[in-house]
Amino acid sequence: MITLHDYVLSANCYKVRLLLSLLELEYESVAVDFHPGREHKGTAFREVNPMGHIPVLTDGEHVQRDAHAILVYLAACYDRGGTWYPVDDPARLGDTAQWMAFADATASTLSAARLAINLGYDLDLDAARLGGHEVLRVLDEHLWFQERAGHDWLVDGATPTLGDLAVFPDVVLAEEGGVDVLDYPAVRRWLDRVKQWPRFTLMPGVFPFTTS
Amino acid sequence: MNTSWFPVADDHDIIPRHVVRASLHGHELVVWRADDGNVNVWENRCLHRGVRLSIGSNDGAELVCRYHAWRYANRSGGCTYIPAHPADAPARTVQCATHPVALRYGLVWTRLDGGDHDDPPVLDALESDPFVLRARPVAASAAAVLAALESFTFAPVGAPPDREPTVECESVPGGVTVTATVDDVVERVVVFVQPVGLGRSVVRPVRSGRPADPMVAWRHHARVLGRFVDEVERLPPTDADADGVVEVAVAPPVARPSSDRRTVRIERKWTTADQIAAFELVDPSGEVLPVIQPGDHIDVHLPGGLVRQYSLTNAPGESDRYRIGVKRTVDSAGGSAYLHEVAAVGDTLEISVPRNHFALRRNVPDTLLIAGGIGVTPILSMAQALARVGLGFELHYFASSPAEFAFEEILEALGPSVNRHVGLDADATSAELERLLAQPGPTRQVAACGPPPMLDRLRRLAADAGWADDAVQFEYFDSGEVDRSSVFTVELARSARTIEVATGVSVLDAIRADGIELASSCERGACGTCAVTVLDGEVEHNDVYLSPAERAADDTLLTCVSRATSGRLVLDL
Amino acid sequence: MSAASATSADSVCTNSAILDRWHPVAASHDVADGAVHSTTLLGVPIECRLAAADQAVVTRCDDPGAPVAAMVAYECVWACLGDPVEPLFEIDEVGERDRRIVHAGTVGVHVSAPRAVENFLDMAHFPYVHTGILGVEPHTQVKDYEVHVDPDTNDVWATDCEFWQPLAATTSTDGQMSDYRYRVPHPFNVVLYKTTPVDEMRMDVVALFCQPVAPDRIVAHPFLCLLDDDNSVASIRAFQLKIFGQDKPILENQVPKRLPLDPRAERPIRADRVAITYRRWLTELGVTYAVIPV
Repeated sequence: MITLHDYVLSANCYKVRLLLSLLELEYESVAVDFHPGREHKGTAFREVNPMGHIPVLTDGEHVQRDAHAILVYLAACYDRGGTWYPVDDPARLGDTAQWMAFADATASTLSAARLAINLGYDLDLDAARLGGHEVLRVLDEHLWFQERAGHDWLVDGATPTLGDLAVFPDVVLAEEGGVDVLDYPAVRRWLDRVKQWPRFTLMPGVFPFTTS
Repeated sequence: MNTSWFPVADDHDIIPRHVVRASLHGHELVVWRADDGNVNVWENRCLHRGVRLSIGSNDGAELVCRYHAWRYANRSGGCTYIPAHPADAPARTVQCATHPVALRYGLVWTRLDGGDHDDPPVLDALESDPFVLRARPVAASAAAVLAALESFTFAPVGAPPDREPTVECESVPGGVTVTATVDDVVERVVVFVQPVGLGRSVVRPVRSGRPADPMVAWRHHARVLGRFVDEVERLPPTDADADGVVEVAVAPPVARPSSDRRTVRIERKWTTADQIAAFELVDPSGEVLPVIQPGDHIDVHLPGGLVRQYSLTNAPGESDRYRIGVKRTVDSAGGSAYLHEVAAVGDTLEISVPRNHFALRRNVPDTLLIAGGIGVTPILSMAQALARVGLGFELHYFASSPAEFAFEEILEALGPSVNRHVGLDADATSAELERLLAQPGPTRQVAACGPPPMLDRLRRLAADAGWADDAVQFEYFDSGEVDRSSVFTVELARSARTIEVATGVSVLDAIRADGIELASSCERGACGTCAVTVLDGEVEHNDVYLSPAERAADDTLLTCVSRATSGRLVLDL
Repeated sequence: MSAASATSADSVCTNSAILDRWHPVAASHDVADGAVHSTTLLGVPIECRLAAADQAVVTRCDDPGAPVAAMVAYECVWACLGDPVEPLFEIDEVGERDRRIVHAGTVGVHVSAPRAVENFLDMAHFPYVHTGILGVEPHTQVKDYEVHVDPDTNDVWATDCEFWQPLAATTSTDGQMSDYRYRVPHPFNVVLYKTTPVDEMRMDVVALFCQPVAPDRIVAHPFLCLLDDDNSVASIRAFQLKIFGQDKPILENQVPKRLPLDPRAERPIRADRVAITYRRWLTELGVTYAVIPV
């Protein structure tokens, strides 16, 4: 049985919910009162994760912390096609890891701005937004050239990887932090493509791709 | 400057079913391509609550607002459906502000209102094989970018490294043409500048001629432009350019009684079935036609003062023509005979704008469409609308002989949902209708159009079978009857005129038809714009604008929806 | 500039119709255990804290000596920067002993307060924005309902509202036709009374208190007063924040952000009857802040 310590408005929890859905895995969601209750900083939750971070996933006896570690764990255990984390192809695996690391840059910029706006976190909003634009410029240029080269995803190849999955949530929610994606048309097209994955799921703030 | 053409997107980027957000001079735009290839550029806001349409969805025929799923049609931007009120056809005043569009040199061009230039600029350098390079957003005003472009320099792609290029810059409308030469390697790039808004722009370079290796050229110019943009963004900001961010007009122009009539040209005429001629009608000057809603009809004004109503068979998104079917009737005053025998391709016809007395509800998953003979025409538009949004329907089409089934190409496209009933007499038709209507239910509805005897039978059978009144919609054709059940007269005290208001006609329309101007906006009793003072008579208040106290006072009437309970009203007009 | 500290000279409120009313400035949990909560009200930076359990103190950062009226109610600290001529509106159900009273947590939203109120009054968006929860296609129709302004309290009421809902509350297990009553007792606060699956005779109370930070920016305080003994506070909050999280990107994409009061500025329909009355009522109250007056 898989259990996810979850918060509905967390982009990092969303990554995990998304992969669970994509891999058609049943799981139980345990609501953590992240805001306003700050339950993740409480004594009880620190027994689950001493770092006081969500998400945390338990699968039988195994407890996995850190969103990206959970993604890798789930892909290694349950992705029968082996496409999300392509361990058999060193170049693609390296690129996948690189784009997962890129999500650290979206977290410190786009996600930070969103936390400041939504939850009133006290941080340098202007710097977060400026950094967010730099991140989006890099992403837009990369995706524009990927399209021209016939690739739909961040990593070359026919199928998306955990790189796309890791970067998607902060980017799709960027405007909640007041970072306008007007200037990044290739990013907007890529968001639409991600939303068309089979078994794609939503979170509040993310609109579906619908055509009727 | 605001009235010139500017590129707002790369044509290549306007992919099917995608919705692009753009901005020009601070005016937010939504850009989307319909499945027929037409690119729309509209003001980026739903008329209802101001929500950006760029967060909505593109179904290939219509743009659908994310908030309440109001649907706006390809080309006209007219609203075709408001789900909160499934039984009401949206007011024709609900129409997005549209902008002219031109596709040129691989870019999508538009201009804001008021321009007197008919087309985007023509540049010899781009006339053959223009090649669009990657655009770059710049955090600087268009004026600052244009000034910097005067000293823009680059090495032509494929030139030997470490050689200074010779560069010539020439101003063109909205940009510069830059020609770079190293020995015999010459490359010419036109850089257009899109003024986005306050301190923001997009540079859109287009190369003269397709390069030998596109990817090499794209990479090369992305580097060149990246360095240029970095330099421009390092310059101190200037206020040379006053491009601001525009807060959209708060009150859109109040709807005027737009001319009810327009001229159309017969673009195509063919025999679609025995005794049925089909016509496709287009605007003679290529202007956009008013929006079509499923179930719409137009009046066709014929020689001798004849007026005939014909339903439109169009599918959603099919907005560049009106398609009608005309059945030849022997006993007519000559309307159908004229259209069959005289009217020819290239001729013009006077028509009314589309009207709707036969709205299609889409809040039930299962619709039974029943058509008799030429009554199939509005049913076809409904079937195509239901198919487009994925709602279930069955179409039952009754005709005397196989040769009488019209619009085979549409029926074919609708596929197995179409059921044909051939050559049934009155009793057999009744039996079939009884069978079809046997299972009413809250998730089902009926929409029917056909000859009066058939519809009379259908209404009776539906009532007997237990269908709710509002679950059965129908439109009679070929009916000479006028329903006089709610006719009343309106006296206009100041104008000293008396007007009769017929059933199905609003006080507003009756007053306007008499030549008196009256402002309106929503035309659904919700905004109060068309209110007039009542001097005498009792009002049937059908609006949602007036407070209970105002209603009780009975001295104000919203002319778009309210009527008289007395036979006569006196208005202060 | 963060949501709670946005301020500029032109965003400071001078409209007495707003200045003289009570506004929420903090959730009770924001000032628990002696915490001092910094925020902004009507363009004025302020600090809030509790002097005693039910005694709030609010200080203007721009003028620390200036008196600011403050009180605790409905799981919030409320403040008034002008003369509090009227008491805060009553929500009677809060006094019922079997109610769960929950502040679901503040959310900063880049929209004006009256746009947020209007969205809260709107049923037609349920199938599209709260798909599968508060509405689902093809149940899209908004039936006619009644609207009146209470002659005694001057509250706007929408009554006899009905809408088909697949999963109306945390206590729902199946779809139901929900009955709603909406009440607007204050220009920036709105209260919903809705059918509860738990008790046919009583109603759940869900309110949205909007803290106007600037004319185009709020901190939303979702407040719940429910008949629900089963769900944890975390899951009650998660449900409400999920709903509000779905509304947020709609609200932040409304243009203009301030609410236009001219009835011709946008295209109302019959379903907007309560919004039509609300806009006229704001005009009659003399509200000019966070709106575009007629």
